[in-house]
Amino acid sequence: MATDKELSDFLKSVEKRAFKRTAFAVRDDDSALDIVQDSMIRLAEKYIDRPAAELPLLFQRILSNATMDWFRRQKVRNAVVHNFSEFSGPGDDDGEFDILEMLDGIEGNIGTESASDSVSRDQILQLIEREVGELPARQREAFLLRYWEELDVAETASVMGCSEGSVKTHCSRAVHALAKALKAKGIAP
Amino acid sequence: MTKNTNQTFSPVPDRDGLEARFGVRVASMLGERAQATAPDISERLRFAREQALVRAQAARQVQTAAAPVVVGRGRTAVLANPLGWWFKLGSAAPLALLVLGLAGIAHVHEKAQIAAVAEVDAALLADDLPPAAYTDPGFAEYLKTVRE
Repeated sequence: MATDKELSDFLKSVEKRAFKRTAFAVRDDDSALDIVQDSMIRLAEKYIDRPAAELPLLFQRILSNATMDWFRRQKVRNAVVHNFSEFSGPGDDDGEFDILEMLDGIEGNIGTESASDSVSRDQILQLIEREVGELPARQREAFLLRYWEELDVAETASVMGCSEGSVKTHCSRAVHALAKALKAKGIAP
Repeated sequence: MTKNTNQTFSPVPDRDGLEARFGVRVASMLGERAQATAPDISERLRFAREQALVRAQAARQVQTAAAPVVVGRGRTAVLANPLGWWFKLGSAAPLALLVLGLAGIAHVHEKAQIAAVAEVDAALLADDLPPAAYTDPGFAEYLKTVRE
């Protein structure tokens, strides 16, 4: 059973990412805060008897479900389903895109900290955040769960309620879409 | 993630590896942005966390209250429940009475049916007329005519 301290530490470690991820989905800070709070309370009330190691995956599931509940309550389910089912689009067919070139570029531009250019860095980070927010919902969810929450493919599939193959496809498409969008914005050599 | 051991010495990482590196890199930048959350949002998140902890404590108390507790009585320790056995017994008694009542009604009804059938059988067997006569169409017609 997780202790109060373990629960508190876990929530503290995850709250900002949870808020950001939810805000990406619902595009409204107040609603995102409500959803995160509901998820925290649901975790605390119903799963307090679980060991601390199980909390991350449980919380991600609860948060995803709470976000879907929010969409249902907003009665925009059709729009969401349309958005979620956007498996392929005009910008997705980028099999030949050079991800290595893009990776070198982004690490060259941002990975090496330049103390004299923090404003520019902040602008780039804002740009990246905006591009992540522009991803199709399922791609964004898979990308954030995999690389931000650091869940493995099986855990991500479990949270998203889809197959592991779908998770890999979503992640790959998200990475390529991001790389392409960032390159178009000039964040590349 | 699958790792291709054949590419251990290859200067170019595999596609999955590149995607993962890119994804982790972008995610770490998102993390930087997330840490710089506005103070009011941080404050609301802190409030949400505290609310969750309060609920967790309440949930623990409910679980503790519902679980049997060991109560010492003199030199012995017995399992006791805060709700008490009398309360549980009192809750179950009406249901038990209802079940017993229904079973009694069913039993009485069944006995009455058996008695009625036995009475008919006895009357048929005690009669001078053999029971097979009632299956004869001519005799049935005769009885009908007599009644009229």
